[in-house]
Amino acid sequence: MTIRSFDLLQPRSLPEAVEMLAKHGDDARALGGGTTLIILMKQRALYYRYLVDLQTIPGLADIKSEADGVRVGALVTHRTMEQSAVIRQAFPVVAEAFSHIGNVRVRQTASVGGNLAHADYRLDPPPALLVLGAEITAFGPKGLRTIPLKDFFRDMYETALEPGELLVDVKIPSLPANSRAVYLRYTALSANDWPCLGVAAYLTKENGRCKELRVALGGVAATPLLMDGLEFANDQSLDSDVIDKLLEKVDEQISPFADLRGSEWYKRRMARVFVKKAVEQVKSWQ
Amino acid sequence: MKREIALKVNQRDETLLVDDADTLLDALRDRLKLWSVRESCGVGACGSCTVLFDGKPVSSCFLLAARAAGHEITTLEGLGDGHALHSIQEAFVEERALQCAYCTPGFVLTVKAFLDEYPHPSDEEIRDYLSGNLCRCAGYADIFRAVRAAQRKVEESKRKS
Repeated sequence: MTIRSFDLLQPRSLPEAVEMLAKHGDDARALGGGTTLIILMKQRALYYRYLVDLQTIPGLADIKSEADGVRVGALVTHRTMEQSAVIRQAFPVVAEAFSHIGNVRVRQTASVGGNLAHADYRLDPPPALLVLGAEITAFGPKGLRTIPLKDFFRDMYETALEPGELLVDVKIPSLPANSRAVYLRYTALSANDWPCLGVAAYLTKENGRCKELRVALGGVAATPLLMDGLEFANDQSLDSDVIDKLLEKVDEQISPFADLRGSEWYKRRMARVFVKKAVEQVKSWQ
Repeated sequence: MKREIALKVNQRDETLLVDDADTLLDALRDRLKLWSVRESCGVGACGSCTVLFDGKPVSSCFLLAARAAGHEITTLEGLGDGHALHSIQEAFVEERALQCAYCTPGFVLTVKAFLDEYPHPSDEEIRDYLSGNLCRCAGYADIFRAVRAAQRKVEESKRKS
């Protein structure tokens, strides 16, 4: 299988990249690690006359510790997220979410920014990053702006990025004391496959009770979803009544559709199973 | 667009004229005649096109050749010295960890990168790291034993040197 001829443009700075994207409009696309875009072009499912190579821009593959969190450059690879001492120490749930994607070669190549900007509905990192309150930095013709990750995913393969705008980094805010998050992925096919669904849960405890609970899911709607309206769990001990109410809230907000990995009915059942499991795991942590 | 790229392949400096749309697999097979690099699934799932990119395993079937400029690529041909087999290859032969052998170069290179990174792996680590290489003759148990045999050989050669 060969790829139809295209030009690889190699900018040296973000403004230059944005200029290239503006100049070529719909004929151009930003290229991160290439694990998805190159394969889709190879399969002739997509074609762009110009690919703007973000790997040639210095500084996009850095992980930086800041006073209030960690900033992850768009071109950091999945493998780096899995292995980085900074990420493993500050956000083990994020390292975990990245560690099961595809296989080691895919993780060696695929980028964090590409993963998020692709906006596939069943990717592993979005739920983990959603419960942590991550924010996207974007750079475009109008300059820099930040977009909370929960407002980033608009529809299947659609994000809040404007035409010609680039995802520059992801900021993950530091966790408050007594907080913990887990990510559970459930695969219906092989372990290297996309998950049937993924569930992240985040809990801050105070005096042994819930101070704040957050739950996010992937694979159960056109976009990854951060659950709304979980305040009822605050100041509760997350007993079975609270968990039952949570499962109802989740069921109301998800809208799964059948794919190779399960029917709508099956995904609703599995969402209940894995949300419960995830919440029990964060709850039981001392 | 055509461009000239300079890269190192199996410890040799090479300059190749490639098209931007060429994959690294195209360049290694068509230009350098490195036939151990094989395309199978074409989407990075099977591992038969594995090469080492600065020592790390990648799927050459969807990696653009242009992006290999300035980097160091190792294919199976670069593992032995041209006469004697590499100890990982020996281990695969001794454990009969191949049948049709289509997947073998990808497995051997993956094991090379794996043992470089995890000199004393657990069983779980072996299974997890190699889970992205598929063998349709289903020789996984033999391949697993070959990894342990290769580990022993690597340790032995380290002790000797």
